[in-house]
Amino acid sequence: MKTIICAALGATLSMTAAWAQEDFPSKPVTIIVPYGTGGSTDTTARAIAIELEKIWEQPIVIQNQPGAGSMIGTTAMTQADPDGHTLLINTAAISTAPAIQGDLQYDPEEDVTPISLLVTSPYVLVGGANVQSTDFSGFLQEAQERPMFLGTAGPGSSSHFMSELLISAADLPADVIHFSGGGEAQTNLMGGHSDTYISTTASVMPYVNDGRVKALAVLAPERFALLPDIQSSGEAGISGVEIDGWVALFGPGGMDPALAEQINADFAKAMATDSMQEMLERNYAVAGDLSPSEFRTIYLRDMQTWQDLAEARGIGQ
Amino acid sequence: MDLLANLALGLDAALTPTNLFYCFAGVFLGTFVGVIPGIGPLAAISMLFPITFYLDPTAALIMLAGIYYGTTYGGSTASILLNIPGATSSAVTCLDGYPMAQQGRAGVALFMTTIASFVGGSIGIVVLSLFSPIIAEYALSFGPAEYFALMALGLVAASTITNASPAKGLSMVILGMLIATVGTDSQSGTARFTFGSMSVLDGFGISAMAMGLFGIGEILSSVGAKRSNKIDRESTRFRKMVPTRDDIRRSWIPGLRGSAIGSFFGALPGTGPSIASFMAYAVEKRASDTPERFGTGAIEGVVAPETANNAADQTAFIPTLTLGIPGSATMALMLGALMVHGIQPGPTLIVEQPSLFWGLVMSFWIGNLILLVLNLPLIGLWVRMLLVPYHYLYPAIVVFVCIGAYSVRANPADVIMVLGFGVLGYALRLGNLPAAPLLLGFVLGPLIETQFRRSMVLARGDFTAILERPMAGSVLALTAVLLIWTLVSAILRRRRRLAEATDA
Repeated sequence: MKTIICAALGATLSMTAAWAQEDFPSKPVTIIVPYGTGGSTDTTARAIAIELEKIWEQPIVIQNQPGAGSMIGTTAMTQADPDGHTLLINTAAISTAPAIQGDLQYDPEEDVTPISLLVTSPYVLVGGANVQSTDFSGFLQEAQERPMFLGTAGPGSSSHFMSELLISAADLPADVIHFSGGGEAQTNLMGGHSDTYISTTASVMPYVNDGRVKALAVLAPERFALLPDIQSSGEAGISGVEIDGWVALFGPGGMDPALAEQINADFAKAMATDSMQEMLERNYAVAGDLSPSEFRTIYLRDMQTWQDLAEARGIGQ
Repeated sequence: MDLLANLALGLDAALTPTNLFYCFAGVFLGTFVGVIPGIGPLAAISMLFPITFYLDPTAALIMLAGIYYGTTYGGSTASILLNIPGATSSAVTCLDGYPMAQQGRAGVALFMTTIASFVGGSIGIVVLSLFSPIIAEYALSFGPAEYFALMALGLVAASTITNASPAKGLSMVILGMLIATVGTDSQSGTARFTFGSMSVLDGFGISAMAMGLFGIGEILSSVGAKRSNKIDRESTRFRKMVPTRDDIRRSWIPGLRGSAIGSFFGALPGTGPSIASFMAYAVEKRASDTPERFGTGAIEGVVAPETANNAADQTAFIPTLTLGIPGSATMALMLGALMVHGIQPGPTLIVEQPSLFWGLVMSFWIGNLILLVLNLPLIGLWVRMLLVPYHYLYPAIVVFVCIGAYSVRANPADVIMVLGFGVLGYALRLGNLPAAPLLLGFVLGPLIETQFRRSMVLARGDFTAILERPMAGSVLALTAVLLIWTLVSAILRRRRRLAEATDA
């Protein structure tokens, strides 16, 4: 209901306020990246910024504000003016953090304007040296016979939530083990210390292609077009794990919907450039094509899913 | 033959004028950044990272890597001259480097660290070029139980690195471990001792801690002290920098051991130059016939950690390049520089991008040579820095330390933490308590806790499972032997002293 009202409100406002946005951007735009320099979110943001500078003809400043599972940078963004000159590029961590962090210093519904889904791909379940099966159906059986260890990139990370989601959807007798970041989670897979890891295509496919870990499933109802050889969770009869990983653009709460539309369109143009398409292809990911209000629905839905899961499985308590 | 061809290919790539230029720029900047206390390699590389989008990946990586190992060369300078570590991995060098400087042997100490850095770096490069794939494979067999055992051994071995009484040293280690518990719990995600503040959710920063404890602590304690600059200009002459035959005789075995220790810890993801330098120092002190000289200006205490941290710098590239797994935040940046260009480091990198891999390896040689040539003449210049009155020097250092602390995470709270740790460092000095064991506890504590809890999860709560793993079990047994030996020898020494006292 809320989204319909928002969308309606957005439509009305966009008609009245459209003229006001012609001068955007009127000064350099800051994009906050709530992770360190050189990480995957940072490099994606910097690559987009290079394209966007050509479209906007204004300098774009990438500001890295890492810490607290992306919440330091995200909080800083929510405190800026919603005039479009301060934006945030974050991953799905922005939707998982409210479920696990009790000390959140902003309202995730009111203080954030979801603008664009930039990059999206399904989550992939990969198995390590100790996993015998080569597909998802086999894995489900093996995991029933031998209780497994599902490695994560840390408590509260999306790999953690997806692992918990898989445990509850497939009713696995498994334990979750937390590592410090995806790199460590994957070395422990390769060394046979833990059994699985769930992350986006961009972070697991390099190791799958190396043959060091094996892709067991894409967590989606159907097979993923860019990875047609990997079984989908839907095929194996498991549902309730169909959540996609993403990198997305946000603004401070209360942003003029017309402005959000305009920024959404400009980013879509940047994502359509050859260099960005090449980057997407390398990462087995696709560009999102949602309007701000459609993306808001996904953002709120995912956040609710994680909130419910955290309560049901006692995460962070 | 293959190797020679590869090395030739690497030289070919590294010696192009462009790459040579970026190599020089990197190591020059690295030395500079290393000498300035506060600003570390992570901050410097982060700032320069964006230009890698516009550079050829080999050139970009050569430059970033140059900054990285160049910092370790420069890092010891401030440790020796001012008792303030230029980089976290040089903190141990303060213990013997600074006493040497006070004895007018600053030039010798700097000369030896430069040579030690070159030797350590060179041995690290040899290990990197000959054994990368094997080591990477071996490192994978290290699971949580093995890391736990190794870190426990390290803690026991290194807890006596200072000359303070064992009780004082041990309590500082424990204080360090306690301070490290602040932040998010590694397994449950619960916030511990954060009092609702997001700034400490990731714990205290290692560089904020090292700079505060050693740097600000040193500055605070020297404010009241009347220090006439008694550095005689004589000691800045080149003749005074040449080490004696005795210095060299004492140094070469610690240098080799330091290189071995450094190569080992560098190649393990998750450990690195800082732990390597602590361990190398601890091993030398234990292996020495005259452990009481350590802490009073022993040349071994300078050479061992400096070879170790430079060797570790080079071997840290093994997991990064051959597995595509960064062992530290700095290595993650190097990885990022490759990924930007669509190059995925991994086992196939050496085969698919031979000119990049071998070009990088050969650039390390060239970079280390440049550093050697660059640093030796600079020693005289650095020593002269001691002639700068402290009322000019110290405010400048405080500014750099604050900038450095802020630049790591762009978090103003880190500057306040530097201040807090500075006050703590000062308080420790007043109480005559050693700061190095505190830093050691802070570095190893979280690793021990996290790896222990992971190994408990993997063993489903069975304590004996750790002992059943061959490597973890033997290392823990060694730890127990070392612990018992330390206790027994302490008791025996005490008895002997008591006996001597009654005899007399």
